[in-house]
Amino acid sequence: MRIELKREGGLAFFPGLSRPRGVDLGELPPDTAEAISRGVQEARFFEQPSTPGPASQRGADRTSYTVTIDDGGRRHSVQLVEPVEDPRLRALLELLKRAVKEHGGSAHAHQ
Amino acid sequence: MHGLPRHRHSIHCILPPYLARQIIQNGSPQQRARILRTLAIDNTFRAMRLMRSGMPRMARALIPGSMVVESQKQRTIYDMKNSEQFPGMVARIEGQGDTGDVAVNEAYTGLGATYDLYWEIFGRNSIDGNGMPLNAHVHYGTDYANAFWDGERMVFGDGDGEIFNRFTLAIDVIGHELAHGVTEYEGPLAYFLQAGALNESLSDVFGSLVKQRTLNQTAEQADWLIGAGLFTDEVEGKALRSMKEPGTAYDDDVLGKDPQPGHMRDFVRTWEDNGGVHINSGIPNRAFYLVATDLGGYAWERAGHIWYETLRDPRLKADSSFLSFARLTVIAAARLYGQGGEEEKAVRDAWNQVGVRISRAKAGEPIEAVGMPAEQQPVAH
Ligand SMILES: [Zn+2]
Repeated sequence: MRIELKREGGLAFFPGLSRPRGVDLGELPPDTAEAISRGVQEARFFEQPSTPGPASQRGADRTSYTVTIDDGGRRHSVQLVEPVEDPRLRALLELLKRAVKEHGGSAHAHQ
Repeated sequence: MHGLPRHRHSIHCILPPYLARQIIQNGSPQQRARILRTLAIDNTFRAMRLMRSGMPRMARALIPGSMVVESQKQRTIYDMKNSEQFPGMVARIEGQGDTGDVAVNEAYTGLGATYDLYWEIFGRNSIDGNGMPLNAHVHYGTDYANAFWDGERMVFGDGDGEIFNRFTLAIDVIGHELAHGVTEYEGPLAYFLQAGALNESLSDVFGSLVKQRTLNQTAEQADWLIGAGLFTDEVEGKALRSMKEPGTAYDDDVLGKDPQPGHMRDFVRTWEDNGGVHINSGIPNRAFYLVATDLGGYAWERAGHIWYETLRDPRLKADSSFLSFARLTVIAAARLYGQGGEEEKAVRDAWNQVGVRISRAKAGEPIEAVGMPAEQQPVAH
């Protein structure tokens, strides 16, 4: 399973923080990889619409994350806008942010 | 886009101004208070308040002081205790003293300073112009490095401690978030492309004015930075943005280089960041800085009034371009301070310097005069 995370928005636009970052589950410590696999299942990631949550147009400076997961031929992207209401999606996003921060590289390095 | 009617019905629809004035002068205290609050959103009184704050003392003396409504500042600061589940616990309400929590206190003070700017300088009673309570939520999330407006409330993270400090630390950022509320209630500016960059710029402008007024700085003395102090020592940079020199706020290994342009020739075309709303805002930001420093003195006095009037102009559209906004600022300058005066010239020059050209022939023309009271219509040529 390969995961790509792209951050956008927030109070300022930082070019360095908005580059897509990717990580292969195989590169992660087994505990982390397992937690993510479980998180993907619990959040029903592959069944989520591409923009879950209320389609609220209000607000400003919200951060949004585009999560793309490749898993054995399946590929799905979901855009999550903070604050993420669904607790399972929120938990998954937290796991992914941490994994990408600690182990991730440029999203295109492995392609 | 905000689902609220732009023109709220109030008592002034049925009560002629002269009658309202009589009640203010002769009515019972309760009647007076009710009328004054209602009139706080009346156009006639808006014009009067602008006169009070923007005109010479002689003219100001003609307007009776009894028309000033009492402040309705009503702050509540919630402690999210590092969760993301709203609303969190009430940590400090209006009138309560220091709680010992620095983020709570900064949010309380920052919201107060922002409310005071709108109230004392622009005669605006809170976000909606009608005393809306101000709710801020601090300690949002874990290591959360952002602050945002969600359409109802302001939310502040503690920062990750590596790149960002806590977001309440910068009073202009608190002002920036509250100003998003004002823009949303006031105008229709979409959060996308040039209109979105104007929306962002208005938040930087009023956020910066909050900071400048708190520090009692003139336009010359101000640093014109947005979010100074938010970066930790690890970061090569001084702030999130510079209104004076867009593109120079940071240049860092992790964050990259500040992408803001300060001139139309460097305008960034992108689909990222809602079409570059935090990027191209550098252009109108610099225009405001140029007006304020050209006019000199306190930026909230004339430059601030011109921008505030422009935000309130019904001709400002959801998809307004920099050019149509710029035209409205010229019209506002002429309406507030006289046609052909130094204010109008300063505004025209400033836009010119950032590459937004307002032709002399067109600037005075009404772009569209929908729902404007007769005295506010631009003079026809
Ligand atoms: Zn903003």
